[in-house]
Amino acid sequence: MNPKYQKLIHGYLDNSLSTEQQSELNQWIKADPKHARQFASSMMLHDRLRSELATSQEEAAPVVAASRLPSRLWRRRSFALASTACVLLLAFSLLWQSVDTPSASAAVVELNRIIEANEHSTDRTFLISVLEAVIPPKHRDPGSPERRRPPKPSLDGAVLDVRGSNQFVLKRMTPRGELFITGSNGETSWAVRPDGPIRYSDDLTRFARDLPGHEDRLPINNLHDGLEALRTAYDLELLPQEAPDRAAGQEHPTDRRMLAVKKPGFLGAARVEIQYAESSGKIREMRFDDMAYGPQRIALTMTATKEQTFPDDYFDHSSHHGQERVVEYE
Amino acid sequence: MENFVDETTRQATRQWTLAQPAVSAFISSVVRDFRDRDDVLQNVAVAVVESFHAYDSNSPFIPWALGIARRQVGLYWRRRGRDPLVFDDDAVACLAIAFHEEAQTRSAKFDFLQDCLGSFDGRAKKLLGLRYRDDMKPAAIASETGMTANSVAKALQRIRDQLRACIERKSLEASVP
Repeated sequence: MNPKYQKLIHGYLDNSLSTEQQSELNQWIKADPKHARQFASSMMLHDRLRSELATSQEEAAPVVAASRLPSRLWRRRSFALASTACVLLLAFSLLWQSVDTPSASAAVVELNRIIEANEHSTDRTFLISVLEAVIPPKHRDPGSPERRRPPKPSLDGAVLDVRGSNQFVLKRMTPRGELFITGSNGETSWAVRPDGPIRYSDDLTRFARDLPGHEDRLPINNLHDGLEALRTAYDLELLPQEAPDRAAGQEHPTDRRMLAVKKPGFLGAARVEIQYAESSGKIREMRFDDMAYGPQRIALTMTATKEQTFPDDYFDHSSHHGQERVVEYE
Repeated sequence: MENFVDETTRQATRQWTLAQPAVSAFISSVVRDFRDRDDVLQNVAVAVVESFHAYDSNSPFIPWALGIARRQVGLYWRRRGRDPLVFDDDAVACLAIAFHEEAQTRSAKFDFLQDCLGSFDGRAKKLLGLRYRDDMKPAAIASETGMTANSVAKALQRIRDQLRACIERKSLEASVP
């Protein structure tokens, strides 16, 4: 192997490459399958070294209760053992899912049911209610870029129609009581303002910026990715079932709730609570706490109000304005 | 345990155990933080078992598991904001193929790693411990050992090269393909 690229590989293994060197390595890997294999071979040795030596440290450590192990040491388990154990744990949780245990494993099983039910859903409509909106100190400066932008129409009371992971229509009211509609049909994103031209763009994010969560690249219309993200970036907990309060007219006495708390270092709302039908796994309501929305941190609920199949062109802008309106491409 | 694990789960676990070194190495190549790598790896393990019913047993398992790993890595990147020091999508696709091929031809050879590690002592053993057991980078190792960061990096490169040569030699002696 060319010593130059050998050195780059070793530099990569030790996290000591500059951005330019990283880019050079990236190009070299793509240039020839042999290069990719040379890199893969080095990486396999690197990974096995880590596994062997981290495991040997653990074996040498005195035996203490797992709960007393420092988290750093606890994490340094042999990858093979840990991940295989994870497989076995999951197998047990699948087999024991009928047992009402509020454990993380049970929560994962429930999350899988929710994801599966979501995949089989047709078009859905959600009502958004804003519970809290706070402007953090760093954005309180009237001169900050976020504050200089025109205020967004209120999200509170907005109606969100969704299809799949990237089609949506968001209807909000302006302070003057006029509809302000944004949306995407999966190929273009668009905005229908009360006045002025209709604007659309091939950039799907262009008019999706009014969807909470877009700052963290997880807009709330994309339930597919959002639910998948809960697996990776959140600690899950099934909340205890509450006795149904029929006297208070509780609408869904068989609902369950799951709480997801974001792990440090990940993007997204700090907490997500899902209320779902125990029998089907269908989402009734999601609550997002401490979520980025422009300059604000907001808490909101998203309540499922209807499940139906919209016409094929419903997510096109043309379904939401008269033919006389001027349409501009951006 | 035998009484509780069904045949499908047993097969999934067996396949995963064989595929795990390649999948782990693939994740390591694109998720640089060791602790995050552990989390992603465990998520992949869970996803593999959950999706095992969709696996076609007539096709090789490792590429299928690597496909799941790529999706989980993608999710990880989206959560974190992409690390500027990782590869682009085309390079990642090349690597997924390469890890599968390497796993087929070289995976068994790494079983000699423990033996080869036993042949090191003194400074080499200390450097390996600091780098891989304590997860220290060359600059931090340098301040610990009184060496320069450059000399630590060169020493680590030399040690890894010696380990690779040792593994090749021992596998040749044992006639491992």
